[in-house]
Amino acid sequence: MTTVLAAEGVTVRFDGRTVLDGVDLAVREGEWLSLVGRNGCGKTTLLRVLAGLHRPDAGAVHLADRPLAGTARREVAKRVAVLPQSLPPLGGVTVRALVAQGRYAVRGPLGMLGGGSDAVVDAALAATGTRAWADVPVELLSGGERQRVRLALALAQDAPVLLLDEPTTYLDVRHQLEVLDLVRELQAERGLTVVAVLHDLAQAARCADRVVALREGRVHADGAPGDVVDAALLTEVFGVRGVVSSHEGRLTCSYLDAG
Amino acid sequence: MSARPAALPAAVAAPVGSGRSRRGPGTAARYALLVAGALAAATAGLLAGTSVGPGTALAALAGAADPLSVDLVRGLRVPRVLVGAAAGVCLGVAGTVLQAVLRNPLASPEVTGVGSGAVLGAVLGTLLGGPVGTPSGVLAVALLGGTLGGGVLWLLAGRAAGPGTADPLRLAVVGVLVSAVLSGTTLLLLTARPQLAGAMVRWLVGSLNGRGWEHWAALWPVAAAVVVLGVLIGPVLAVLAVDDDHARGVGLAVSGWRSAAVLLAVLATGGAVASVGLLAFVGLLAPHLARSVLGPRAAADPRLLVPAAALAGAATVTAADAVAQAVTALAPVGDRPLGVPAGAVTAVAGAVVLIGLVRRRSRTTVGGVL
Repeated sequence: MTTVLAAEGVTVRFDGRTVLDGVDLAVREGEWLSLVGRNGCGKTTLLRVLAGLHRPDAGAVHLADRPLAGTARREVAKRVAVLPQSLPPLGGVTVRALVAQGRYAVRGPLGMLGGGSDAVVDAALAATGTRAWADVPVELLSGGERQRVRLALALAQDAPVLLLDEPTTYLDVRHQLEVLDLVRELQAERGLTVVAVLHDLAQAARCADRVVALREGRVHADGAPGDVVDAALLTEVFGVRGVVSSHEGRLTCSYLDAG
Repeated sequence: MSARPAALPAAVAAPVGSGRSRRGPGTAARYALLVAGALAAATAGLLAGTSVGPGTALAALAGAADPLSVDLVRGLRVPRVLVGAAAGVCLGVAGTVLQAVLRNPLASPEVTGVGSGAVLGAVLGTLLGGPVGTPSGVLAVALLGGTLGGGVLWLLAGRAAGPGTADPLRLAVVGVLVSAVLSGTTLLLLTARPQLAGAMVRWLVGSLNGRGWEHWAALWPVAAAVVVLGVLIGPVLAVLAVDDDHARGVGLAVSGWRSAAVLLAVLATGGAVASVGLLAFVGLLAPHLARSVLGPRAAADPRLLVPAAALAGAATVTAADAVAQAVTALAPVGDRPLGVPAGAVTAVAGAVVLIGLVRRRSRTTVGGVL
């Protein structure tokens, strides 16, 4: 399969602390890659580096065959959309107005003068079930509803690569499953490539074609969920003792203690 | 899973669907209110502090009154009101742009180095005299000074921290420091030439006394340009107002556009300062006045907020000048001062609004600067 996004020897340091240490990662076209690991292991930082939102101290990221560092932001945004963990308070900005900002890369500043809303925005609102709230200020929605709006914003970019930073944060179990299933459906429909930072190992395995586990800024394990997610991974990466079982092809993790 | 919208609380669901269609006339009516306010303030400015009554003033505008009244209204009052309105337009746009770019609802030209830089330029122009002492010359050096203030701010807060890392909080803090240094430099200049200190109060406090058609001629193109440019970059301001990661994520070249927006604020502030001095708090007050009239949804759209803040700024400055003239007229004729500066009125009114804003923000976490 074609590599659409690749990190090569990526190292990131914050105040002398090495957060990512020479990470190599090739994201293949059409796959769902789940990034897992303990808090502070570098998952979100790696996602930000892949999105071009953080420049690594060493190494490089390539978007297909082009170095990300030398690519204009609008060109990057046409090919990579990011779903952030959260957004700051937005005042009276409505759902439609926010989602329409996803069209900036395609339409440009002058093209946005008419409001930026177009058929792609309507499709993104429809796909995420947020069309009924289009004229409601984002501030008035619940956490789960806002997460759908952020997903609609990412979809409005109409980019083939979707980077999700903890898309199930703030959501109850039902809404977590709904959001992940929705992304999975959209991935299948549109042939999207998805890289998702997820905390829940079972969910990460459930959605993914491939699981990459980070430990202390390095890739500890990389492979199909059934090959990677096991009791040893729970101990080595998360520092917990547990049992991983498979039922009807789906992995279940039971945690015993903190090891 | 099929995507289904969850049920909305009644208070949220009420505006759904009809929201867009209802926003149009609502916004138009709110704009009409702003226009009416600006016209009322302009009328008050025409009449304040003179013995000319409304009927005579109207006749004088049409050239149908006695020559003295016509000279007074057409030669003195009208340009004074127009210069005040244009300065208010500039400061309203500058405040709106700076608040969006810095993502700080308390940002304004006087706390970002832009205003004090423009004042320093205007004072230098007046001190040097000659070609740079004319209204157009003072405008040019005020723009240079504003650019200096904005540039120093940008260098210290942005570039020093690395490309693309100029965060709004750093900009706001450094802006206050840059303002203090530039204001101190202005005071040093005034101390060196004490005979000009009286005239210099104009630049430091802001006043419409003595403003005429030549000042209007220099200022109106700036006012028109900043409103048009502010509306044109409205979509960019909307994206920048969210946060930097979001802006980069949707494809915005953040540093370049933020620099361009600050330059627009410099142009607007420089124009206003060169004509009437630094009217305190107008750049802060006008955008908030516009937001309160437009309502949160329309105000969240900079394409609508920029012209509304321009109208609110025009109304604020002309109303402040009317009050200043009325206060001046209250003094006994023999002891009548040269004229209470409009900046003194905006300073008092702005301080009251600022206190109200701080109290309101301390009660709620829902923010947003557009």
